[in-house]
Amino acid sequence: MIEFQHVFKSYGRGRNILADISFRIEPGEFVLVSGPSGAGKSTLLKLIGGLEPPTRGSILVNGQRLDKLPARARPYLRRAVGVILQDTHLLYDRSAFANVLLPLAVLGLEPGAAAARARAAMEKVGLSGKEDLNPVELSGGEQQRLAIARAIVNRPAILIADEPTANLDRDTAQRIMSVFRDFNRVGVTLLIASHDEALMAGHAARTLRVEPGRFGDWEGVQPGRSLPPQAGAGAAAPAPTAQPRGRAEPTLGGAPARPASPERPR
Amino acid sequence: MKSWLRQHRYALEITLRRLAAQPYSSLANLAVIALALALPLLGSAILVSVQPLARQVSVTPELTVFLKTDAPSGAAAAVAARIRDEYAGEVDPVRVVERDRALAELRRNPAWEEALAVLPGNPLPDAVVATLAPGPDLAARADRLARDWRQWGEVDQVQLDSAWVQRLEALLRFARIGLGLLAASVAVVVLAAVFNTVRMQALSQREEIAVARLVGATESFVRRPFLYLGALTCAVASLAAIALAALALGPLNRALTDLAHSYGAEFLLHLPGAGVLVLSVVAVAALGALSARWSVTRNTRF
Repeated sequence: MIEFQHVFKSYGRGRNILADISFRIEPGEFVLVSGPSGAGKSTLLKLIGGLEPPTRGSILVNGQRLDKLPARARPYLRRAVGVILQDTHLLYDRSAFANVLLPLAVLGLEPGAAAARARAAMEKVGLSGKEDLNPVELSGGEQQRLAIARAIVNRPAILIADEPTANLDRDTAQRIMSVFRDFNRVGVTLLIASHDEALMAGHAARTLRVEPGRFGDWEGVQPGRSLPPQAGAGAAAPAPTAQPRGRAEPTLGGAPARPASPERPR
Repeated sequence: MKSWLRQHRYALEITLRRLAAQPYSSLANLAVIALALALPLLGSAILVSVQPLARQVSVTPELTVFLKTDAPSGAAAAVAARIRDEYAGEVDPVRVVERDRALAELRRNPAWEEALAVLPGNPLPDAVVATLAPGPDLAARADRLARDWRQWGEVDQVQLDSAWVQRLEALLRFARIGLGLLAASVAVVVLAAVFNTVRMQALSQREEIAVARLVGATESFVRRPFLYLGALTCAVASLAAIALAALALGPLNRALTDLAHSYGAEFLLHLPGAGVLVLSVVAVAALGALSARWSVTRNTRF
């Protein structure tokens, strides 16, 4: 579950990028975060991922208040939130496979099990047979899928993606959306920031619209307005809060996605 | 526990990969640290070799009173008795070394045997050796007694036997302090070299650190490869420094042996014992890890 309560975000003494945002996302939802460029979509996702702190207000992710979370516990929350940023942040000094292995090395997983999970993740995103290639040898779409494989390999409970299909051709973008859809089907909560609402049609159950707000400031999604009517799948969906889907076993093998409960810091 | 060990193994692999990725830079860094460490190591080799020499010789101040060669027989015993009577509290014990016994002892030394053989008689005087009783300000007391005794009629000269040992002790004390300062300077050099190496590594690994944090790496996980880098670099540099010092002692000892033989003596420089060397390697590795931690904490705040 993700809950924003009167969240403000500004940088330095500048005006608010996000102002008085409040909404709630139930586990297993597939949510599109839409809005024009510069509206604060990326900032919203970074706040959920704990990559940025809010200026004011409280953010709950799986029952953990991020602003109250000690710095030592933050990494354990991040393990439960898979993040795919606009820039893929792949490491070009190692193979594609080694990139996917990194989150599992962080967990200290047994090498055999880690390799099996990394291979499964690459297979899931359609990158089988490209394990030994350097990311620079992959196409833009493949690099994006590699970033997705890295984000899902440790089975996060929540997956957030910032413009994951930007600069991709239609077919590749659709393939990537299908991958997200599959993950959502096994119970992973999905938030995707995109301005390509047509592409999202038929995938996202509801939409959070981030747009310039009242009083000349940027407005976030207000309580009771968390599902503004719009075209596409979001318009067809009921609800301010979609019903959480039952969480089936993920296809990557092993245990289902873990909740974001901080473990004992190592 | 197994997971913790696996993370350490991963950190070690990352460290070795980073070192191997820049072989020339890594080697140059190792060479600088090794050369810096070799200097105090050579200094300590000299100290540990000379110290036993100073210990073998008594540092208790002794005054030797040489009588005139024409002094009558029994004059030495009289002088000894006078010292015992008049300076009872200041000297203990007092012994007479007769000229014939002194000559016999000297003849036992092969270096002197030939020279003494050509002399017509015994050139040595009778002597009285007085050991100063323990007490404060031995040097001042020795000076005063020597001044007093030189006034006596049968006495030719008075010599403070342990002066050179005391000088050697003072020199060694000076060398120990110098070596300590040199070691401290080298420690600063090692700290600075490791700090800078880790800083450069941290900057070049900025993307990897950011990604590791993104996927949930703890700060310990991020820091660990850098700590290994510091510790490993310093440990290998220490071993290289020991090898360098051992190599340098070879020609030094050859030259020193020739010099010592010309004085009829045996003297060799040697490195401190294995225990001390192992402890030094561990201490330098710990210093490297400490410096690396400092550097990585400062340079990965992004």
